[in-house]
Amino acid sequence: MAEEGTLHYDPDKNYDEETLAQQRIIEKQIAGTQDFVTERLDFSVLEQEYAEDPVYIKKVRSLKSKYLCLRKTRGDGNCFYRAFGFAYFEKLLEDQEEFNRFRDVASKSKDVLVSLGFPQFTIEDFHDTFMEVVDKVGSQCPLEELHKIFNDQGYSDYLVVYLRLLVSGHLQKEADFFSNFVEGDRTIKEFCNQEVEPMGKESDHIHIIALTAVTGVSVRVEYMDRGGETTNAHDFPDGSTPKIALLYRPGHYDILYT
Amino acid sequence: MASMEKRLQKELQALLRDPPLGVTVDSDKTSRSLSEWTVDLEGAPGTLYQGEKFQLAFKFGPRYPFESPQVIFTGSNIPVHPHVYSNGHICLSILTDDWSPALSVQSVCLSIVSMLSSCKEKKRPPDNSIYVKTCSKNPKNTKWWYHDDTV
Repeated sequence: MAEEGTLHYDPDKNYDEETLAQQRIIEKQIAGTQDFVTERLDFSVLEQEYAEDPVYIKKVRSLKSKYLCLRKTRGDGNCFYRAFGFAYFEKLLEDQEEFNRFRDVASKSKDVLVSLGFPQFTIEDFHDTFMEVVDKVGSQCPLEELHKIFNDQGYSDYLVVYLRLLVSGHLQKEADFFSNFVEGDRTIKEFCNQEVEPMGKESDHIHIIALTAVTGVSVRVEYMDRGGETTNAHDFPDGSTPKIALLYRPGHYDILYT
Repeated sequence: MASMEKRLQKELQALLRDPPLGVTVDSDKTSRSLSEWTVDLEGAPGTLYQGEKFQLAFKFGPRYPFESPQVIFTGSNIPVHPHVYSNGHICLSILTDDWSPALSVQSVCLSIVSMLSSCKEKKRPPDNSIYVKTCSKNPKNTKWWYHDDTV
């Protein structure tokens, strides 16, 4: 049913159109000022951002003692997937053995998704583009080319979709286990349809656990929030040796480099 | 733009080759413009809509499949259903908030057939008259408030 306003509601006015137009303007502004994935940046950008914030400044200092620099990602709800994808592919450029392992996993993943009931012809589109980029990485394309691919929406969004599908597939395959972690009375399938597969839906622990499990890629996440003196590192899966590191600030993921 | 056309061509061929029960693409109208499709639906046997024929109009933007298609009922018979407004607009979450690029024309049609099939009483949405009077022509410009997907 269409949403009804409550305060000073003018029945002859179309509020929805205004709201959505406003949303589109904001999205456009973000798109115009922020790359999907930036160049490597010095931590001074975070120090400037938090100049007036003693709690966060302390945390940026603790980050600086552990990491060299960062790349920021666009805050469009897809940042976890883009940060994970770029950081990992960048890593693969210099690790042939890991590349061979991942290429095998990625190439077989389409059949797994199809066997779970995803429609072949939509999956195929995303898988083909994903493999095209994986193979560019395998041919050790220049880092600038990878960076360009991730900032070209035509490619970048295809990669995000495929990573989302991998997460959804894994959650559904292991539904017995993951259903304990889904709030409310939604089934895992409903959760995937609503919180994983649509673009722009943000990622939580459950998404990270699924993506690291299905790809076999360990990730360290540095959590930066209001509590404590330093950022808190958490490795997915617990006790593994992380291949990449991400910075989490409430609602957003960026990439960290040692 | 090219990726939208490639994807729609693929979808069209699949639907013409292997249409789900009760779903028919009007290939004459559709081949004239790939960005606007007309799809005929039949109410499923054993449901309140058995024997009824409906028509859906699909419009695809250049960002399809990353943006959902615009889908409305059109023609002379608009189903009387708690989630279908008399102007043809449909309140279905996969058409806006829950749209995913992995969905397709086929999955939208199947969801709509299933939405009709699970209906227990033929009636319009309670806010039909005010909505139809004030809404935008494009249902994607409505901020839908999904509260019961089981009806």
